[in-house]
Amino acid sequence: MKITREEILHLAKLSDFDLEESEIDGLSKNLEDIIGYISELNTLDTEGVEPTYQVFEMENIWRDDEILPQEATREELLALTTEQAQDQIKVPKVL
Amino acid sequence: MKYYPTIGIECHVQLSTKTKLFSEVDNDARGKEPNSCVSPIDYALPGMLPRLNGEAIKYAIRAGRAMNCEINAHSRFDRKHYFYPDSPKGYQITQFYHPIIGEGYVELPSGNKVRIEHAHLEGDAGKLTHFDSYSLVDLNRVDTPLIEIVSMPDIHSAKDAHDYVKALWRLMCYAEVTNGDLYNGNMRFDVNVSIAPEGSGTLGTRAEVKNLNSFKSVERAVEFEIKRQSKILDKGEKVIQETRGWNDATGETTSQRSKEEAKDYRYMPEPDIPPINLSKEFIDEESAKLPLMPKDYKEKFGGIIADDILEVLLDYPALMKKLAEVKDAKRVSNWFASVLLAEEKSAEYLNDLPTAKQLDDLSEMTEKGELSSTGAKEVFLRLFDPEMSKRDARTIAKELNVIQENDLGELERIVDEVLADPATKQAQEDFKAGQEKVIGFLVGQVMKASQGKANPAVAQQILRKKLA
Repeated sequence: MKITREEILHLAKLSDFDLEESEIDGLSKNLEDIIGYISELNTLDTEGVEPTYQVFEMENIWRDDEILPQEATREELLALTTEQAQDQIKVPKVL
Repeated sequence: MKYYPTIGIECHVQLSTKTKLFSEVDNDARGKEPNSCVSPIDYALPGMLPRLNGEAIKYAIRAGRAMNCEINAHSRFDRKHYFYPDSPKGYQITQFYHPIIGEGYVELPSGNKVRIEHAHLEGDAGKLTHFDSYSLVDLNRVDTPLIEIVSMPDIHSAKDAHDYVKALWRLMCYAEVTNGDLYNGNMRFDVNVSIAPEGSGTLGTRAEVKNLNSFKSVERAVEFEIKRQSKILDKGEKVIQETRGWNDATGETTSQRSKEEAKDYRYMPEPDIPPINLSKEFIDEESAKLPLMPKDYKEKFGGIIADDILEVLLDYPALMKKLAEVKDAKRVSNWFASVLLAEEKSAEYLNDLPTAKQLDDLSEMTEKGELSSTGAKEVFLRLFDPEMSKRDARTIAKELNVIQENDLGELERIVDEVLADPATKQAQEDFKAGQEKVIGFLVGQVMKASQGKANPAVAQQILRKKLA
């Protein structure tokens, strides 16, 4: 399966990657290889087989609706961000 | 040309669970500082796993039942990927393939039914505030549980669009799954509008107006879109499929970013949350907890409370609950209606409602004629006064000095006193000579002598008897 340059740039945009010009062709090739390999699964007949969503066979794992005190403070968590202002995370302007 | 509009609405409802959908953090961030209701899970720190809030499942069942929906025994979560600073995970956990709430319908006052396609659980995003050269991110709202309700395109007028979102708001409030605070964005609406030549039986290209937060803005945005699209089609041009924003000040919609296609979200099963498989017993048990709905109250109070008053009061679920507790719902509903319609504070009065006992006492005192309608209203208003509200209605009435004198012995004594007063001698003679209206003057004297506490009707009876 051919992965075009436009598709790579589109995927990079969706994934918020800055790609160097020199990386684009190599990535096309890598993705083609990966998809080619995975595509071998298409040779199997999966008609009527339920998709496997997870492999642990667990279900209904949920918790009570009780507020628990948090160990990590706001200051500690904000300190992990690149920039902060007014107790908020500061990011480049987005709209 | 005349066009026929077709409208479908997506509605996001913030659930009022104590904690968030995936972390044990306070879900009520109203009035709290930015980023103060946030955990490492909400920050999506490496290794953090979501912990599903079981209460949100129960809320979803109630919300679904309020809309006459099927509850799906099997549902699960998916990841919807997108990069934006309002979502530290880089994806939203939602239910794309197997939602918990299936098909149902909502009835409108017009009698039209709007079918519900499905509704699903998902986490909300954080809040961005934009400045000149940067934006600030507050993660308090990250993963607040939402139910997204997707309607079928069954709406064909701005009025029905308004009535549909209002009906949804009522249903969600009565189901007690949300605080329903529209001002704080507890419910948000995305409206899809398209038009086609009348009678053509086809559907036009739709535009989606996003993020409306009031019934009125939904109605106005639909009106605007119908006009805008009609002009485009009249000129022989084509409507573009796009996302549009609403400007409440100008009353216009404007073009926004082109929408990502579904495939761009790269949906995949959420591996960190096992599927939800609900037994029939569990669903039935939760469904049975659905409180009385607006239609139930309409049935209960129809013929007792006037339709127009009931329609006003139905906007206040806590008030309807209270009316169901009191003995004389008709009388109490009139007091509330007069407060809500006439007093400026209106809805503020309803934050802390009087007890059923206070209201019953007040009803009884009025019924017995111990209070005039004015007096009763005065006491009623005092029941909302934080200083007074915890007190007995009769005590308040006494302090306000509005209890009418019905004690016949006491009243007779006052009447005798008035009749013995030489100042009333002329009036008594005039009345006996057939001047009927003089009785008003005499009643007035009795009221004065009793310092306003006499029941005027009873006073008149006694006067007439004595002057006969």
